[in-house]
Amino acid sequence: MSPNPPKAPARSRAPWIIGSVVAVVALLFAVVALLSGTGSGGSDGGATGDAGRMGVVNGPVTITGAALPAIAQTGADPAAGKAFPTLKGSNLLDGSPLEIGADGRPKVVMYVAHWCPHCQAEIPVITKWIAEHGNPKDVDLYAVSTAVVPERGNFPPASWLEREKWPVPTMADTEDGSAFKAAGLSSFPSFVVVDANGKVVTRTSGELSTVQFEQLLAQAKG
Amino acid sequence: MNLFFTLLAFLAGGAAVALLVLSLVSAPAVLRLRRDVADAALPLALAVAATCTAGSLYYSEVMHYTPCKLCWFQRICMYPLVVLFTVAVARKDRGIRFYALPLSLIGGAISIYHYQLQRFPQQHSAVCTIEAPCTAKEVEQFGFVTIPMMALAGFTLIAALMFCLHVASRTPLTDQEAS
Repeated sequence: MSPNPPKAPARSRAPWIIGSVVAVVALLFAVVALLSGTGSGGSDGGATGDAGRMGVVNGPVTITGAALPAIAQTGADPAAGKAFPTLKGSNLLDGSPLEIGADGRPKVVMYVAHWCPHCQAEIPVITKWIAEHGNPKDVDLYAVSTAVVPERGNFPPASWLEREKWPVPTMADTEDGSAFKAAGLSSFPSFVVVDANGKVVTRTSGELSTVQFEQLLAQAKG
Repeated sequence: MNLFFTLLAFLAGGAAVALLVLSLVSAPAVLRLRRDVADAALPLALAVAATCTAGSLYYSEVMHYTPCKLCWFQRICMYPLVVLFTVAVARKDRGIRFYALPLSLIGGAISIYHYQLQRFPQQHSAVCTIEAPCTAKEVEQFGFVTIPMMALAGFTLIAALMFCLHVASRTPLTDQEAS
């Protein structure tokens, strides 16, 4: 009797592993493609899928008056004491005419961008403040939706503000951000405080706490 | 495509965990499986890197999302891996793990930083500028899967494949285990 020959090493199962992975990925792709085909228009709608509900995204804005100087990062605001330009445009939420200008009432104008996480955080804070305190009696609040970039998510801005139950009249800025540029701003969210004479009291940028927001209202009243 | 990439990210994350377990457990039953996975590691890593690269180009060139600074840093770590793995597969060069593992770990670390920045944007600054901000979330699936998380899943799977390859290369099977 001859001794048993040594066992040959088992063949590697690497080709099977690679084939299984390819099959799983292909199956995944097919399922997603099938779901997207039978669904309501695919899943990339974060940017453009709400086209039917976009409403006003950008609007024509007529600006009367000189643009404010660029906001300073530190020190006194160079726009303080200068006239806030009058903005005539349309309401982002319902398309009705909206004017923000010298009407004898102090005001705070907030500039927001739909894709900005700080704006996304600020809107609920102010919405909650208004829900608790009501609209300020002596100060008018306005917002301007600007810097609309559909590809950056949370689009369209009207859907976002409706979702947040945003109670503040909001103007749709032009595609190139005319109202934003006329205010001399460079970041979001930004606030322009205007007194009863239509003069800029101060401008500020960044997320505000409710205390800081109340300070802006007090500054507007003078 | 967002859903597809998200599901791929889940798959990659699960596979990475399984690979780490496979690499760390030394029971005889798993040794042969580890060897077989290690044999497949280079083409699989090439596929992962190529998919991540294609996905990143899809978002910037097809969807027109502007990559932010941190996105670019992650691209710097991911894109070369496609070339490195292509050469390694052609040459059957397992030594590639010594180059690919650091790149994927650095890329994964940047992805983690980027993801937590999206979750807690206040730590970056209190404002957004008009340039592509690192805090913005162009894609968000299931409320938490964003592009940096997808990148993290890719980097983690590549790192896990390289780790498995490393462990398998250092512990060759005996004839009995191999048969």
